[in-house]
Amino acid sequence: MALSKRQRAQAIRTGQYALLVVVVAALALTADWEQVRKAFFNTEIAGAMFPNVITVALKNTIIYTALGFAFGLALGLVLALMRLSSVAPYRWIAMVYIEVFRGVPALLVFIAIYYGVPIAFQLQFDPLSTVMLALGSVGAAYMAETIRAGIQAVPKGQIEAARSLGMSSARATITIVIPQAFRIILPPLTNELILLTKDSSLIYILGLFREQYELTKFGRETLSRSPSLTPILIAGLCYLIITLPLGHLSRYLEKRTGGKKVSTPESTGLGVSA
Amino acid sequence: MSDVVVEVTGLKKAFGSLEVLKGIDMSVNRGDVVCIIGPSGSGKSTLLRCVNLLEEPTGGKIVVHGVELTDPDVDIDRARTKIGMVFQSFNLFSHLNVLANLTVAQRKVLKRSEQEAQEVALRNLERVGLADKVNAMPNQLSGGQQQRVAIARALSMDPDVMLFDEPTSALDPELVGDVLGVMRQLADEGMTMLVVTHEMQFAREVADRVLFMDGGYVIEEGPAEQVIGAPQHERTQSFLARVLDPTHQGPSGA
Repeated sequence: MALSKRQRAQAIRTGQYALLVVVVAALALTADWEQVRKAFFNTEIAGAMFPNVITVALKNTIIYTALGFAFGLALGLVLALMRLSSVAPYRWIAMVYIEVFRGVPALLVFIAIYYGVPIAFQLQFDPLSTVMLALGSVGAAYMAETIRAGIQAVPKGQIEAARSLGMSSARATITIVIPQAFRIILPPLTNELILLTKDSSLIYILGLFREQYELTKFGRETLSRSPSLTPILIAGLCYLIITLPLGHLSRYLEKRTGGKKVSTPESTGLGVSA
Repeated sequence: MSDVVVEVTGLKKAFGSLEVLKGIDMSVNRGDVVCIIGPSGSGKSTLLRCVNLLEEPTGGKIVVHGVELTDPDVDIDRARTKIGMVFQSFNLFSHLNVLANLTVAQRKVLKRSEQEAQEVALRNLERVGLADKVNAMPNQLSGGQQQRVAIARALSMDPDVMLFDEPTSALDPELVGDVLGVMRQLADEGMTMLVVTHEMQFAREVADRVLFMDGGYVIEEGPAEQVIGAPQHERTQSFLARVLDPTHQGPSGA
């Protein structure tokens, strides 16, 4: 008996729900939930992690990420402008930097900076500066490409208008192009902040003191002293405290600029001729 | 002091192997309104954009207000402050409100004080009839309002000459009149204007002189009454016939 198109769609939908139920049921029945509960939900160990997990680890994660992001944003902007420079060697240098720092695991970059910078420049940075340098130099490579795309997305007419009012190329870039570029790239930049938050877990390699531990190191350290995986759960939840609101913010900004994009062609007159 | 504000001699412009301007001679006198008409692709917008060097000429000479723009050592930013430009697509700075659109170049380029810049801005917004939109963002304005703000922005630099690049082509028909009204008023006030337009009625009534361009040359030029009213050249005649009476085209039109 042939099904109508509507009946077939209904049957497929029912099938999808059935599959979901089967998979969830299989997981629920096969996993040993008692063991999981024992391993991850030890309230005593969880309680012992407070308040340090917040006052030290979460705080440090936020500080490290913020410093790295600030430095990365500044360096990323410089790299983006170099990528768009009319001076060819600037373009090459920026391109090599971006390709290398994006193409190599962050962990290796951190090690290279941690040991390499003191050797190369006879400089001994304090831990906070090292963290900022390490996280920032990786973040910059990603942000540079985002910023470059944002700069190129600013309509050419904006630059022409600025130049026709007597602004120099540099003045037009600073006053007109960059502010508009950052509005465009706010959602992807927020996403990069989330990635950087997670990358901050790699700076354990820089050998920090106890009061400098961030979430992952703190969690692993607690783990090594306790017969439970609870510290990992707590650390994970703490990351979500940071990343969930950021993800929300990113989607909100995307929706807002998405709504703006609809009016942008109109405001440049392109929508009318279409 | 010469009365010629814009003088173009032997202007050539090529994009790669495509020659768009093949030797243009023209001039605009102080207080004159010169309209450039012609079919699309005739090079009229390119000519206009060469007059403030948004396009770099490949040959010839352009002198605006005694400054030779085609001199490689010219201070083009300084020269451009005296040349107002109005674009087809308005190009208001989308991240700035109306007032900031009008003051940003006054402050950063002319180094006027905030107070002076705002006074000049408000005066020019009144000229275009939009003093009440001072705090609006560009995307809150209609196309006609945006274009009038763009005109006020150019006027705020106190230019010697205003260039209009098809200023009404991106507008809905019912909004065209407002913009043309402002331009007519500017012309009456004695502003020197060079206008690329498809508005034949406007050209006929406001222009002191009309240039007809086709294929990279100025084919015909003279008083509006003559060029639009009684064109001498065959190509001008057929262009005007197509523009003024588009429904009665002969089979040869395409």
